[in-house]
Amino acid sequence: MKKALNAIGNYFKNIGIAFAKGDIWVKLSAIVMGAGYFARKQIINGIIMLLVEVLFVVMCIGYAAPNLAKFGTLGTVQFEQVFDPLTMTSTVNDYDNSFLILLNSIISLFLILVFILFWIANMKAVYRLQQKKENGEHINNFREDVRSMFNEKFHITLLTLPAIGVILMNILPILVLVAVAFTNYDQQHMPPNALFTWVGWNNFKNLFTNSVTVTFGYSFKKVLVWTLEWAVLATFTTYIGGILLAKFINDKKTKLPKMWRTLFIVAIAVPQFVTLLLVRNFFADNGIVNTFCSSIGLTDFLKSVGLVSSNLTYIPFLTNPGWAKVMIVLINIWVGVPYQMLVATGVLMNIPEDQIESARIDGANPFQIFVKITMPYMLFVTGPSLITDFVKNINNFNVIYLLTQDVYVTSDQLLANSNAKEIDLLVTWLFRLTNEYYNYKMASVIGIIVFIICAAFTLITFTRTIKGDKEEEFQ
Amino acid sequence: MKKKVLATLLATAMVAGCLAGCGGSNDTAATEEAPAADAATEEAAPAEDAAEETAPAADAAADPVANLIAATTDTVTLTVWASEEDQDLTTQLLDEFKAAYPDVTFDITLGAESESTAKDTILTDVEAAADVYAFADDQINELVQAGALQEVVTSYTYDVATENAAGAVEAASVDGKLYAYPMTADNGYFMFYDSSVFTEDDVQSLEKMIEVAEAAGKKIAMDISNGWYIYSFFQGAGYELSLNDDGVTNTCTWNAAGATDVAQAIMDLTASGVLVDMGDEDMATQIAEGTIVACVNGTWRAETAAEAWGDNYAATKLPTFQVAGKDCQMSSYSGYKLVGVNPHSANVGWSMLLAEYLTNEASQTARFEARGLGPANLAAASSDAVQANPAISALAAQAAYATPQRVGGNFWSPAETLGQILASGNPDGTDLQTLLDTTVEGITAPVE
Repeated sequence: MKKALNAIGNYFKNIGIAFAKGDIWVKLSAIVMGAGYFARKQIINGIIMLLVEVLFVVMCIGYAAPNLAKFGTLGTVQFEQVFDPLTMTSTVNDYDNSFLILLNSIISLFLILVFILFWIANMKAVYRLQQKKENGEHINNFREDVRSMFNEKFHITLLTLPAIGVILMNILPILVLVAVAFTNYDQQHMPPNALFTWVGWNNFKNLFTNSVTVTFGYSFKKVLVWTLEWAVLATFTTYIGGILLAKFINDKKTKLPKMWRTLFIVAIAVPQFVTLLLVRNFFADNGIVNTFCSSIGLTDFLKSVGLVSSNLTYIPFLTNPGWAKVMIVLINIWVGVPYQMLVATGVLMNIPEDQIESARIDGANPFQIFVKITMPYMLFVTGPSLITDFVKNINNFNVIYLLTQDVYVTSDQLLANSNAKEIDLLVTWLFRLTNEYYNYKMASVIGIIVFIICAAFTLITFTRTIKGDKEEEFQ
Repeated sequence: MKKKVLATLLATAMVAGCLAGCGGSNDTAATEEAPAADAATEEAAPAEDAAEETAPAADAAADPVANLIAATTDTVTLTVWASEEDQDLTTQLLDEFKAAYPDVTFDITLGAESESTAKDTILTDVEAAADVYAFADDQINELVQAGALQEVVTSYTYDVATENAAGAVEAASVDGKLYAYPMTADNGYFMFYDSSVFTEDDVQSLEKMIEVAEAAGKKIAMDISNGWYIYSFFQGAGYELSLNDDGVTNTCTWNAAGATDVAQAIMDLTASGVLVDMGDEDMATQIAEGTIVACVNGTWRAETAAEAWGDNYAATKLPTFQVAGKDCQMSSYSGYKLVGVNPHSANVGWSMLLAEYLTNEASQTARFEARGLGPANLAAASSDAVQANPAISALAAQAAYATPQRVGGNFWSPAETLGQILASGNPDGTDLQTLLDTTVEGITAPVE
């Protein structure tokens, strides 16, 4: 932490020095970028800098200014269209599109920030040139500069493309998403025909207040609790299941291990959504499993022990909250175990045989070997992937949505009033809110919260598992 | 601006006049002439010129289609969305449409988009959506609100408002303004039954039907845990559900005095286990298996029912049901499929003409013949073949008790849950008034 602060401090100190000790050319560079390069006879560098500055000014006037001027209100001119029945053509006014204004403004702000950093870098660079000249060091010409991009500065060349990709694909969309959480962008305010505007923290307040009609707060708590329960259950059941399965298949007494392994991999090869939709139909209220259960008398037995309510003629596998939650976890084990088995197989094959051998000689039984040697080794190697799985399960859309969509109807009226269901994860709820109700603002708010939860979990667990040299501990 | 419009009008009028005058002159010549004429009128518009052209101009101005053809010089690029099942027929109709305007070059792309989910795709990005698209009438409010529908201020090739059934026109309108072209009138629900089990008298009352089915050891299915269907009970008993003027929130009186009797009635009806709450897919399998002998569903299940019951396949309006000892006729949502024009289209004029073509009498008849979809067009619907179709005539009988679906998005989830609770016999024993109050709270919730 202190290191980071120091680095920031130094960063700004260096500009101060450049300003204080720079000669007239360095100072001029603050206004006319490239001046410092011209003074040291780096003409091409100077022209490039000047060109960047000119482009930036053009961008500001032509793109950033008109958008940023409306950034405060996100537009005021409503879409209007007049159709002339005689010519059968329509005329449209020069309307504001709130979403485009928001998007373009964020891009503009981002470009301005990048330019400021660029400007600072430029100041430092020209000051360094001045120092070099004063010390009589060699100053690169343009060709040497280009060559250095392929030699000592090759990492910069290499990382440029991925960095641009990350900015375009990740950072900018996330910034837009965060901004939407502070607007009233929803079905009533959908561009291009309507405008939306800033509403401050209102959406966040709505999420955590529990009034009678807006039951968001109630639903959010319920959904969050189930999301975490699910993530823990789903992660550990498939993890343990995968290791056990791999152990069984790898066991020397198992016949035809390759065949078993292939069979489980075939299960992966079938697209997950096909499997899940089929399973959903198997376990439907009038599905094949229910027909079977009632014909062997299982349904009546479950009724008599009170697991199925007496007015039902079927087992509500996917239609009762309790049953559905258990079924979802079980079906997820079935869908997810083959993956974990593959991972575990790889790791198990790499456990040093000598350790297990010596444990056996010391008289450890297989269970002790498993608990004392295999599991610690597994946990150490797969720890980070376990955390990734946990985060993935928090956002496990497929299993929940495909198994329950169009089948599960909640009986909790308060949840229903917020379009949520008992078996919803934050992410499926979010999907339903955006896709069926166009509530983008609340979806953004939930999205931010999901991100915070995932980020927190990842950070905490990663720092704990990777911290220190744990390799010694299990050996 | 005004001057330019006038000039263009005059210019097109002159061109049209030229066409009328020269008779055989080909349209390339005519269109070539247009810019010249445009320039002339814009410059000064000499008096004698204007006088010369006044007479034909009046004629031509009255025919906007001719104006449009004359004004179209470039290729007209249009995108059309029709449902997966409608692709073949639509392709054929598109070819006919192109042939009907030989002077214009079209580049029409046909995409597949189900009528029931058109809204979801269109509202994601209205500007990128198709120029002409088919959709189910329940989406019209949200589409109009999002500005995804061009108002049909006038029609050109046939009169949309009078040649279609009044219900269809109402369903295609919002606040008295017509926004779409009715395509089919078969998206509502009614009662299918096996006439070897029920007589025509039996199917008049739901209580009687349950009695008969119970005696036969069979079941009657209805998707009670679905807002679309549970509406028929409350609306039938005279309780109101309507969309407010803001177009998103609802007014609902399902918790008014006496409404608990309706809730009680639904619980009583399902208590015997003969009337079962069941989704559409399950119904299909169980009709085929023979456990279900009657069901509330729509024309999309007609084929399944006809196959399973053969000659005994019959359909009729929904029955009555008893609320506190009084017979009430079950209501329903009428349903229409409509064709809409995207106001963000670059060729609104051609889009409107195409929408008209896809929904005119001939196209609706073709649609009935090819796919058995009930026409909204009065002339097409009065044909003998349509009249003989049991499902479509049942829909017509139900039409008197049906209302177009006008409801905001907050209705579905609470109503679905209400249906679920009532159909499972209110397992928690919640006070019925509290139950309805909570439902209505959810349905009428303000949209934040």
